[in-house]
Amino acid sequence: MHDEIIRINDLTKDYGNGKGIFNFDFTVKRGEVFGIVGTNGSGKTTTLRHLMGFLTPDSGSCEIMGMDCRRDSSKIMKHVGYVPGEIDFPDVGTGTSFLKIQAGFLGIKDREYINTLVNMFKLDTDASLKRMSKGMKQKTALVTAFMSRPDILMLDEPSTGLDPLMRDALIELILKEKQRGATVLISSHIFKELDDTADRVLFINDGKQIDITDRSSVTDEISQKYRLGFKTEAEYDSFISSTCFEIDHKNKQYLHIDLEISPDSINDMFEEISQYDLRYMKYKPFTLEDHYTEIIDKGGKISA
Amino acid sequence: MLSIPLLKQSMKSNAVMWGSMTGVMTLLCVQFSMLDMTRSLLFTIFYGMMTTILPGIYVLVTSNKLLASQVDRGSMAYVLSTPVKRSSVTFTQSFFLVNSLVLMFAIQTGAHLLVNHSKPVSMATLGYTMLSGDLTSKMILQVNLSALMVCIALAGVCFMFSGVFSSSKYTIGLSGAFVGVSILANMLAMFGNLGVNGLDKFKYLTVCSFYDYRSVLFANNDWIEKMIYPAVIAVVAFGLGQIVFKKKDLPL
Repeated sequence: MHDEIIRINDLTKDYGNGKGIFNFDFTVKRGEVFGIVGTNGSGKTTTLRHLMGFLTPDSGSCEIMGMDCRRDSSKIMKHVGYVPGEIDFPDVGTGTSFLKIQAGFLGIKDREYINTLVNMFKLDTDASLKRMSKGMKQKTALVTAFMSRPDILMLDEPSTGLDPLMRDALIELILKEKQRGATVLISSHIFKELDDTADRVLFINDGKQIDITDRSSVTDEISQKYRLGFKTEAEYDSFISSTCFEIDHKNKQYLHIDLEISPDSINDMFEEISQYDLRYMKYKPFTLEDHYTEIIDKGGKISA
Repeated sequence: MLSIPLLKQSMKSNAVMWGSMTGVMTLLCVQFSMLDMTRSLLFTIFYGMMTTILPGIYVLVTSNKLLASQVDRGSMAYVLSTPVKRSSVTFTQSFFLVNSLVLMFAIQTGAHLLVNHSKPVSMATLGYTMLSGDLTSKMILQVNLSALMVCIALAGVCFMFSGVFSSSKYTIGLSGAFVGVSILANMLAMFGNLGVNGLDKFKYLTVCSFYDYRSVLFANNDWIEKMIYPAVIAVVAFGLGQIVFKKKDLPL
């Protein structure tokens, strides 16, 4: 068994005008939930299209289970469920007949799991595919991707068009699939769903790979942010002038400041703030979004 | 090689177009061969134009739907994210296109054979006063075979464009130009045949010239020889479409 189920080696696809993806190089481990984050047009979909064997790389290669994604695509597809970024269905009438045909393609005889998924997403399969709302279409696409219980799931912005409840249901389903042992690749610009699911996250910007972040390191080692609200302006001013901690942000109108604290100095902070008259204190969880903004800011400075 | 689920999908999504074209063609055929008023025009109008125009429209629309439009709209992703090979996609789709044409002609020919059996028409009525006897079943079969071969060539070229381009507008544009020019030139050439000077040169502009019902009626074997060219065009065009589709990048 290959521990690294997906391997991308120095992959480049140049569409000209600086568009495309350049020198992507990463691996995804079996059983991992791997997020790809980037702004619109940064190359998320292009990366997934290479993995699906729809595009031929200009240079470099990508492999799934040791097979070349372009050449052995049809063999790889036995193990893959895909939700495309652009949802449009074949012209076959209702959702039911579409799911039936897809089950035929995938050789699924037992329709029980399909029905479970349909019920889970509260999908009305009798509706005509053309009349479906965006959310309904997305749900139909999700059912087709998950119904064969594939080893690898490639989800291109899977929560597009879903309402918040369905988004939570999707996150739950992804976690369930991970427990089953599936490897999941999710591209997204919505940080919340990755915050809740991803083990590692690849950040890309303008077709360049910027950083791969291990989630455990994001949550444990990185500095934490606290917001302190003071009762009086005098207290507020005195804290600012005397504190030894780094002030990330201050607001005189609301008399609050944001402190950035490294994990080992948290007790010092409590000692210091116990001398002040506070209205409130709250913990601001560090999200992937903060991390992304931070990285992009740094990247911006480097290139400038 | 043949993907049964894809064949089912293609049948489902093209049934309406196929059904209406087959229906119109069969009805026109029955009408032209049955009514006394129109019988004399059976060959000039029905076999002269309709057997290329109606299947021409059908292959123009359908070949685009079989590949290019599905790539353009993105729905091909659902086919290619299953263990179906690209070559099996093109094979299945061309199999569907050719066989739906065969079935279309089979139904229309069957109807004509029935009508002709119960109400035979003399060659003189059809405007061929120099020929004796009635229109035979064999002639009907041969004429339709000749027309079918040319339509398969039209289908091949449209399918090639559909395989080469990932965008409906180019496929429809080029296929439309090809089918349109073929049919128009054929009609103009026909006027040339009917005596309008100079227009007969248009026969060099169209594959429809390989469809030769006059040769069938005059019982010479030119039409058989002429079937070779559209057959070659079809094989080359279907082959090219297949190769390009297999190699190209698909924005799915």
